[in-house]
Amino acid sequence: MSDGLFAGYRPYPGAADELFLPDGAPRPAFRETIEAIDATTPEAFARKQALAERALLAQGVTFSVYADARGTEKIFPVCLLPRLVSPEDWSHLDRGLAQRVRALGMFLDDVYGAQRILAEGVVPRELVLGSKQYLPVVRGVRPPGGVRVHVSGIDLIRDPSGTFQVLEDNLRTPSGVSYVLENRAVSKRVLPRAFDLARVQRVDGYSAQLAATLRACAPSGRDDACIVVLTPGPYNSAYYEHSFLARTMGVELVQNVDLFVDDDRVWVRTTRGPRPVEVVYRRTDEAFLDPEVFRKDSLLGVPGIFRAWAKGNVTLANAPGNGVADDKAIYPYVPDIVRFYLSEEPILAQVPTWVCARPEDRDFVIDHLEELVVKAVDEAGGYGMLMGPQSTKEQRAEFRARVLEDPRKYIAQRRVELSTCPTWIGEHRIVAPRRVDLRPYVLTGPKGPWVLPGGLTRTALVEGSYVVNSSQGGGSKDTWVLK
Amino acid sequence: MISRVADHCFWFGRYLERAENTARVLPVTLAVALDADLSARQSWRPVVVVAGEEAGFVARFGDAAMQDGEVVQRYLTWDRANLTSIRSSIHAVRDTARSIREVLSLDVWQTVNELWLWMNSEAAEEQFDADREHFYRHIRDACLLVLGALRNTMLHDLPLDFVWLGAVLERASQTARILDMQYHRERAVDGVEPAVDDAVWLALLRACSGLEAFMQRHGRVTGEGVARFLVLEPRHPRAIRFCIQEARERFGRIRPTPDLPGARSAARLAALHERLSVDGPIEDLHGLLTHVVDEVARIAIEIGGELLGQEVQASQSQSQ
Repeated sequence: MSDGLFAGYRPYPGAADELFLPDGAPRPAFRETIEAIDATTPEAFARKQALAERALLAQGVTFSVYADARGTEKIFPVCLLPRLVSPEDWSHLDRGLAQRVRALGMFLDDVYGAQRILAEGVVPRELVLGSKQYLPVVRGVRPPGGVRVHVSGIDLIRDPSGTFQVLEDNLRTPSGVSYVLENRAVSKRVLPRAFDLARVQRVDGYSAQLAATLRACAPSGRDDACIVVLTPGPYNSAYYEHSFLARTMGVELVQNVDLFVDDDRVWVRTTRGPRPVEVVYRRTDEAFLDPEVFRKDSLLGVPGIFRAWAKGNVTLANAPGNGVADDKAIYPYVPDIVRFYLSEEPILAQVPTWVCARPEDRDFVIDHLEELVVKAVDEAGGYGMLMGPQSTKEQRAEFRARVLEDPRKYIAQRRVELSTCPTWIGEHRIVAPRRVDLRPYVLTGPKGPWVLPGGLTRTALVEGSYVVNSSQGGGSKDTWVLK
Repeated sequence: MISRVADHCFWFGRYLERAENTARVLPVTLAVALDADLSARQSWRPVVVVAGEEAGFVARFGDAAMQDGEVVQRYLTWDRANLTSIRSSIHAVRDTARSIREVLSLDVWQTVNELWLWMNSEAAEEQFDADREHFYRHIRDACLLVLGALRNTMLHDLPLDFVWLGAVLERASQTARILDMQYHRERAVDGVEPAVDDAVWLALLRACSGLEAFMQRHGRVTGEGVARFLVLEPRHPRAIRFCIQEARERFGRIRPTPDLPGARSAARLAALHERLSVDGPIEDLHGLLTHVVDEVARIAIEIGGELLGQEVQASQSQSQ
């Protein structure tokens, strides 16, 4: 378009670009904002980028990498070029996400209650009850406030036609929202003019909204109910976020050792003696939640907390057992789940999926491994995956054997040509297309879902790569939802 | 306030103060070694002894290294295996700060994090080699900035009370150690009697930022006068009596009524404060200083057991 920052920018052929049309012209809805950013020279932009990275390091906005034996902390790579979402697109997503999360909540209530959907055969009984994520002990428990999925993160991608598709639901302990808020603070500082022109919806109300949502689910319903954030501790990769959320909600950040259960109530140890706790926003894995119920070999957890929850004396957010609804093997049935509970057509599209538990699907997958992306249903974060089109013969042979051995564990999808977004490539000082996804966050209280107008745009930093997970070297961008 | 968080606050204050004091003692000793009529061993050995590191140091470097100021400085500044080195203390400050990030203000956290990043940078090592005085000054400045940010950007509430309690108790112990260096100098074993000249007393005052304050009060430097000042002066913020007085007041805010946990800690603090509320001459200075160091350690253990939810053994292993 010009000789500015975006000079010579060309989207990948065959993929949609979030900001530019295939011929390299800016999308009309974003023209003004793009021109404002384009006015920056690459040198000035490199300075802004370095400034932002230094500020994040100084503030300790970092995560720990599991595979890194030294346990070092890194800043989550961030690209200052924002991803823009038009008001029309957002209103579609907002309605679609609320609908999907509402339906999934009803599905969980049903699965842990009357099991109507299984009786009617909409979702195969053995797929649900045979899932590792289905917790029989949860059956019959009505959680305080009637909510199970207080916080969810729904991963979306955009296909070459520009349609958003759901890739994955995260209904257990989705992370990343702190980066949404930190990235926004950085955007406003380094791109004030473009930000001002764009008229962007605010995201900084998230923590207050989260606190209000949790409080509304407290067993006593009182305004001064004690809320805590439960973290596995400073060595957890998402510790920064746990501490961020506690700090911005103005509540205590606790670890397992700080809590105990007496008389089926949860207490926190303080310098002035025990104090009752009503809501636990847990960021710990449910396998380590309560050694009396889950991992009996575990020394971690708060013995008795499950009983306290089952009796309605404490709210656990999110509720135990949610994994059965975001299981990758259940995912293909979500459109039917939406229709079954809401008698509505699903607003959001999703990626067609083969479920290897079904013999005909399994056979198709085995015959088409080089075209498909095969995923283990109980792995997350980009682990345990076969990217068929980029795989070697040996990798395909290995996955063929694995799928045949335990088909229930695998699903497959066609590789979607993820959309791209202009991304700053620091080492070459240029802007180039990189693939992105989008994780919006949905908070659900007794009155229903609320969607944060924004989200975490994750971006692959390697040219041509489809993998955007932070654990696999991806980065993030601020997501500007326009008014 | 959650006991574990209070415990981290308390140790945050202690490690911070420890880092700052080591960054005071080393450059002052360096200056004394150049000025005063002391052997190298008489200058440097006491620094190691009062840090409680004599055994560890000798095992690593041998007894003769006690007269090598460079080895002593590196050991007390950079050594990762030495838990009282400045690097270890700053690492511990940052580690505890990270565990209590949600109770600290952004200003406090960012200053701590920047100090930690700097300490691990090449720039710090270059400065250590090029301009030693400036290197230690940078650390002291950052610590003072944290202390200032604590008071001026955080709620004056329990977390701050615990940080401050840890800081003033550690400071009392550190001042006692600094003053006790003179005792260990006199015990130097190489036959040269230490010259007890003004330069040494001036150095002790400087190590405690007490030179100007002392001169305003007394005008004439004597060993007796300096010792009384650093132990008994109720208005100098690095004097032991001031620190214990301050610790008592903080503890009173943490435990405003006698029905709350902490009776034994309060009694010990009061007893130590009484012991320091005298106006006559100090009979046995070394004995008193040893008592202060030991008693601060015991008070920390009592507080750990009564308020911070620790087993007694856990807190013992954490104290120097």
